[in-house]
Amino acid sequence: MFGFRTSLPRRIEVMLGMAGLLTFLLIWHLMAISGWVKEQFLPTPSAVVQAFGRLFTESGFAGDILISVGRVWFAFLLSVIVAVPLGLLMSCYRAVGAFVEPFVDFIRYLPVPAMVPLLIIWFGVGEASKIAVLWMGTFFQLVLLVSDDTKRVPAEYIESGFTLGASQWQIIRDIVFPAALPNIVDNLRITLGWCWTYLIIAEIVAASSGIGHMIWSLRRFVKTPEVMAGIVAIGIIGLLTDQAFRLAHRRGFRYLRA
Amino acid sequence: MAHLQLHSVSKIFDDGGRRVEAVCPLTLGVERGQIVTFLGPSGCGKTTLMRMVGGLETPTSGRITLDGSELAGPDRRRGMVFQSYAAFPWLTVAGNIRLGVKYRRDLSSDAREATVQRLLTLVGLEGFDHSYINRISGGMRQRVAIARTLAADPEVLLMDEPFGALDALTREHLQIKLLDINRAAAKTTIFVTHDVEEAILLAHRVLVFSARPARVLEDLDVTARLGPGDRTRALRDTPAFLELKRHVQSIIRDEYMRAEPGVVADAG
Repeated sequence: MFGFRTSLPRRIEVMLGMAGLLTFLLIWHLMAISGWVKEQFLPTPSAVVQAFGRLFTESGFAGDILISVGRVWFAFLLSVIVAVPLGLLMSCYRAVGAFVEPFVDFIRYLPVPAMVPLLIIWFGVGEASKIAVLWMGTFFQLVLLVSDDTKRVPAEYIESGFTLGASQWQIIRDIVFPAALPNIVDNLRITLGWCWTYLIIAEIVAASSGIGHMIWSLRRFVKTPEVMAGIVAIGIIGLLTDQAFRLAHRRGFRYLRA
Repeated sequence: MAHLQLHSVSKIFDDGGRRVEAVCPLTLGVERGQIVTFLGPSGCGKTTLMRMVGGLETPTSGRITLDGSELAGPDRRRGMVFQSYAAFPWLTVAGNIRLGVKYRRDLSSDAREATVQRLLTLVGLEGFDHSYINRISGGMRQRVAIARTLAADPEVLLMDEPFGALDALTREHLQIKLLDINRAAAKTTIFVTHDVEEAILLAHRVLVFSARPARVLEDLDVTARLGPGDRTRALRDTPAFLELKRHVQSIIRDEYMRAEPGVVADAG
């Protein structure tokens, strides 16, 4: 089982993963019941599971989840629609890259939470400011990632296209885009994760709904189990989204496997 | 007038302010249907010369004409096969070849499909039309690239060490395959290689290049020396072939001696 850099059967891998998770839960449980830490600060895992149930039955948590997921995807798709074409053009036409890159690099290094007050002044406390925060947080990262993915398309692919008689537009559509697509999809998956981080910040600062808002308002009543349940919910949603992306990648790009 | 004509074509690269001469001014005519190999040491500038013919590099001076009309950037008239198999992994074997006919306006959709099928057969990939590129061998990938290039029906075929990355057995197989393809397609071809035997076996004419900057050391009429008959594996063992091979090798050895005396002396 401890062969150096060997692979393991899928079944063993799953079992080890479960065992790791259970070990974590066991240590947590022991710490909670030992009395070292006050229950107010560290409830038992089972108390968190019960709180999880209460969130849905008593606090309408499903609605909050729906709102948060909706915000993330709306803002994410909005940044994908602009970032993918722009990233492609940036790498295909040096003039576009030279024009956009310094500005994008500047914005990219601004911490998004620092932008929140400004965005609230601009867009108010409604949906628009939250979408703006998420868009700012993902767009400027994504556009550079797409541009880099596109730059990595081998020169021979593009030169082959020209010698087959394709126009520049046909080369972008038929060669550059499909060649870069697997890496772009991988980067979309990573960027979507960041989007969740910014969502919670936006919802804690100014929102009357959503997972972040829910967690923040429960904090005031020191409902630690509910707060932890809310965090677990974010983790579960993240895990499911990530797995869905991976599955789509495997299915959509079967041709990558030898 | 030759089909493809180079008039005093040269190339000087600007390497961070330093001028690096890659190709000395060269005048060369290639007849229609003639197969010319550019033979020379690695990095001598023969690939740069071929890329200029393909429109992928701009000559520093001189002009290149095809049927008398001047050539500029890359287009469908000059097809290119690269050493790194540029068959596209997101397309199947047939899909790759189909891309070669996609940008042709001279064919109906039926004629395009017929061309794809004919080329699948020509390069011996029938039955693999639905296979993706990552599932087939290097030799098969290069056959896909050749078929795709032929599908665009170029007037000139440019091949840049297309078999350089293949193992010896596959290379030999593809050389014979390429001879078959040439008989069927009869394209004006420039084939770049550093393999002496390959250069002679495949060509009507071999240009032996110097070390960088590329200069033609000798222009050999292979057809005149080996006869106009079909090229086969067996031809390589004939006295005429061996004699020609020895001759070319001695030119290259003398050139190395001139360019880098120490290297050859050390190699014994």
